[in-house]
Amino acid sequence: MITIIRGTTRKPTASQSLANIFSSTPELTGTLYLGYPVIGTPDGAFPIDAIWINDEKGIVIFNLIEGRDASEYDVQQDDSANKLEAKLRNHRSLMKGRTLLVSVNVITFAPFIPISAIETSHIDGYTLCDESNLIHQVNLITKNDQAYIEALAVIQSISTIRKGVKKRVILNQDSRGAKLKSLEESIANLDNLQGRAVIETVDGVQRIRGLAGSGKTIVLALKAAYLHAQHPEWKIAVTFHTRALKGQFKRLINAFHLEQTNEEPDWNQIQVINSWGAPGTSERTGIYYQFCEQAGVEYLDLGGAKQIYSRGNEFEGICEKALVDSNNKKITSIFDAILVDEAQDLSPAFLRICYQLLTENKRLVYAYDELQNLGSSSLSSPEEIFGKDTNGNPLVSFTDSSDGTPQQDIILEKCYRNSRPVLATAHALGFGIYRNVPKGETTGLIQMFDQSKLWQDVGYKIKSGSLSDGCDVRLNRTDLSSPKFLENVSENINDLIQFHSFQNTEEQNTWLAKSIENNLSNDELQPSDIIVINPDPITTRGNVGPIRKLLFSKKIGSHLAGVDTSPDVFFDANGESVAFTGIFRAKGNEAGMVYIINAQDCYSSFGNLARVRNQLFTAITRSKAWVRVLGVGENMKKLNEEFDKVKQENFELSFKYPTIEERTKLTIVNRDKDIQLIKTGSQNLNQLIDDITEGRLFVEDLPQEQIELFKSLLAKGDD
Amino acid sequence: MVDPLIVFRQVETLTSDLIGISLCNDQNFPLMETMTGGITRISFANTNNLSIVLKNVPYSTVYHKLRQDKAYNLRMIDGALIQMMYRFQNNTIVAHRLAFFPSPDLLEFQNNAEIYGEDDIYADVVMKNIVTTPIRFDFDLSDNAVVEIHHPSSHLTIGQYTNCRIPVSAPVTPFNFINFILRNFYNTAHRKFSSDLTHFTDRFLDTITLAERNILHIHFA
Repeated sequence: MITIIRGTTRKPTASQSLANIFSSTPELTGTLYLGYPVIGTPDGAFPIDAIWINDEKGIVIFNLIEGRDASEYDVQQDDSANKLEAKLRNHRSLMKGRTLLVSVNVITFAPFIPISAIETSHIDGYTLCDESNLIHQVNLITKNDQAYIEALAVIQSISTIRKGVKKRVILNQDSRGAKLKSLEESIANLDNLQGRAVIETVDGVQRIRGLAGSGKTIVLALKAAYLHAQHPEWKIAVTFHTRALKGQFKRLINAFHLEQTNEEPDWNQIQVINSWGAPGTSERTGIYYQFCEQAGVEYLDLGGAKQIYSRGNEFEGICEKALVDSNNKKITSIFDAILVDEAQDLSPAFLRICYQLLTENKRLVYAYDELQNLGSSSLSSPEEIFGKDTNGNPLVSFTDSSDGTPQQDIILEKCYRNSRPVLATAHALGFGIYRNVPKGETTGLIQMFDQSKLWQDVGYKIKSGSLSDGCDVRLNRTDLSSPKFLENVSENINDLIQFHSFQNTEEQNTWLAKSIENNLSNDELQPSDIIVINPDPITTRGNVGPIRKLLFSKKIGSHLAGVDTSPDVFFDANGESVAFTGIFRAKGNEAGMVYIINAQDCYSSFGNLARVRNQLFTAITRSKAWVRVLGVGENMKKLNEEFDKVKQENFELSFKYPTIEERTKLTIVNRDKDIQLIKTGSQNLNQLIDDITEGRLFVEDLPQEQIELFKSLLAKGDD
Repeated sequence: MVDPLIVFRQVETLTSDLIGISLCNDQNFPLMETMTGGITRISFANTNNLSIVLKNVPYSTVYHKLRQDKAYNLRMIDGALIQMMYRFQNNTIVAHRLAFFPSPDLLEFQNNAEIYGEDDIYADVVMKNIVTTPIRFDFDLSDNAVVEIHHPSSHLTIGQYTNCRIPVSAPVTPFNFINFILRNFYNTAHRKFSSDLTHFTDRFLDTITLAERNILHIHFA
């Protein structure tokens, strides 16, 4: 059975015809790409209409004729073959001496030219066919030994995903620096799912989701570069939540586009643009800002938004307001495609704004981290996000893609950043899987989502038991979803992630400074390999000051990620300074060695339990290799004990899946609470109790219905 | 006598203190170099492209270039850049440049302390037109530079106005300068952390003339 990957093409009908023939011929195996690849040549971008790779016939290029003009089709064939071969010859894996280890054939497919015309236009040595004889021609190609796997890898890997900006100087092959170097070299190609996610183009809304570290940002950047290369006339926007991503996207898109077309992208046509935005230079603009301009509605900056909306809800609030304000206005579409990263941190209202700014095809690609908000599926369904049209039908719905349509809903289940032990620890602590059951509760879990299948979607396997309400289950990650080479950076599994408790902050700080010093002088790590995260955003400034001062006295440079308009500030441009950050700005970044300080704040918190565990989860998953979780006091000891249990269970998640009642209760008990409201409520209750006890007031004085209502509320609470 | 070593220690200690109270997000290690002719220079690592400050370009360009080249001692919490450069001849001070370059794009710390405190991820989304004022304390003893009243040896320049040179009674030590900046532009932080900032009492000798004392000037004891 053939795998068909449908990219974007200017020859849709011929492509569809080709695809139909292939899918209805079961003997054909391998992979068929439509609208892919794009080859960079000295003359610019050279798109290939379609390409079939299989292990018996090697590579077959299909030049498609959408109309009826077959003139110079032989020249076209030579061109395609030569250019593709030139690209292939660059890769040693495909060469033996001067010989290419995979054959390249070309067939020109012209489904709309009448067969008589085909016969007259035919040139010897150059295959020209239509639907009737395509398979026949294909079968004529000789079978040979082919370097099929290698060819697939080369065609798929539009670019090697090099992250390391600075070259590493390695003197000791066993140092941490050496391990990171080989790690970076291992992550060379896109896997099949990622490759699909990049190329498959939907003339509509597409969703890409996966765990943190599954490569969504890279996929999005590659996709943007690919779309721009194929459609230079489109206006494409790439947007995000975390500031740090702006520079990353620009760099990635630039590199990928250069490789595909040998030219730099036209930044007037493809824009990497903020989500909110402000007036001023083009650097400052944003999607929301442009929407306000287009619709002629009021724009609010952060200051303005803070006056109306509560803390943390400003962006969502202004997006919704803008949508309401623009209800009856005509909005000109200004983008042909919009790609959104971190959609879980941008509100559904923002996605609706993007939808409005798009031309009629509504090519919106949104990517988000699954399980980011541990408590529920990170983002609602598209029906909920985009709402209904005037007839009551959902505007956006994902259909199960059968053969014939590109995939609208893509899940990337392989995590390339965190090794199995690190990821399992992050999930175990985030969900409270091994947390002590608090008094009066039935489970130690902090949160759990309803669709249990989500665990499997993100790459966990059921080792034993079952993922059903009230049942015991044991989950683990396999080599498929968590590549083994990520673990190989350490000989001993216990070196990957470690927890350390200290008596006081000074001890913690001194230990940290010493450890960083060691990393830089003995481990052959560079400053940009290290991130120090303080999970609680409010205390970050106060906490990192003394440590940075200590490092300064040791002549180690460091900086604090903070407010900035420069696009690329997380890592120091010269790589000479260690990055310190609060949790928000850490998102979107990664490093080989991650230190988390004051983790005791994440053990427990009244009114914030889910949030602080979430912060710990985000912090841990920043690491490409090693994690050191540090903290002070009793709570840190308890957190350490919880981690010990994860280790004892061999980094597998073993728990009883909560029933629906338990899940509902969890959502209530551990939600973000409004402390002020609770205080006031409690005070009022105290007052009432006092008045009654002191005899100033009698229960009988109060209205009967009120008493009954209160009684029933109390009774419900006891369930 | 305030010699180079004293000045260098001040710069180093104050940098360290400001890091410690987290008013400074990024910094350069200060450098002290001795050169031929008995000259000692105190500055920071990236001093190659400082001439841009005096060129006829918009302030925003100046700021971003300095920032990109990391041509500063300190980058403060609200993006302001601080430079401290001194030149000595045979251990006597002959020149200094002390500069404060606020960010043209970000809200100033003074008026928006909570936004910086909470580290709001959208803190750079700002609509109002920021009016920023760079200031410089310059000192230059060379004969062809000094002209009484019009170009006092120690003076304050506000904004990038060419002939703005307000006389100052003496060369300014790093501590005087940092204290001035904090007190006037980071006041709340200054009051909160004044005990965490090391105090230095060293003073340069007065260089102001009588005539300069008779017009509006800056004096410190």
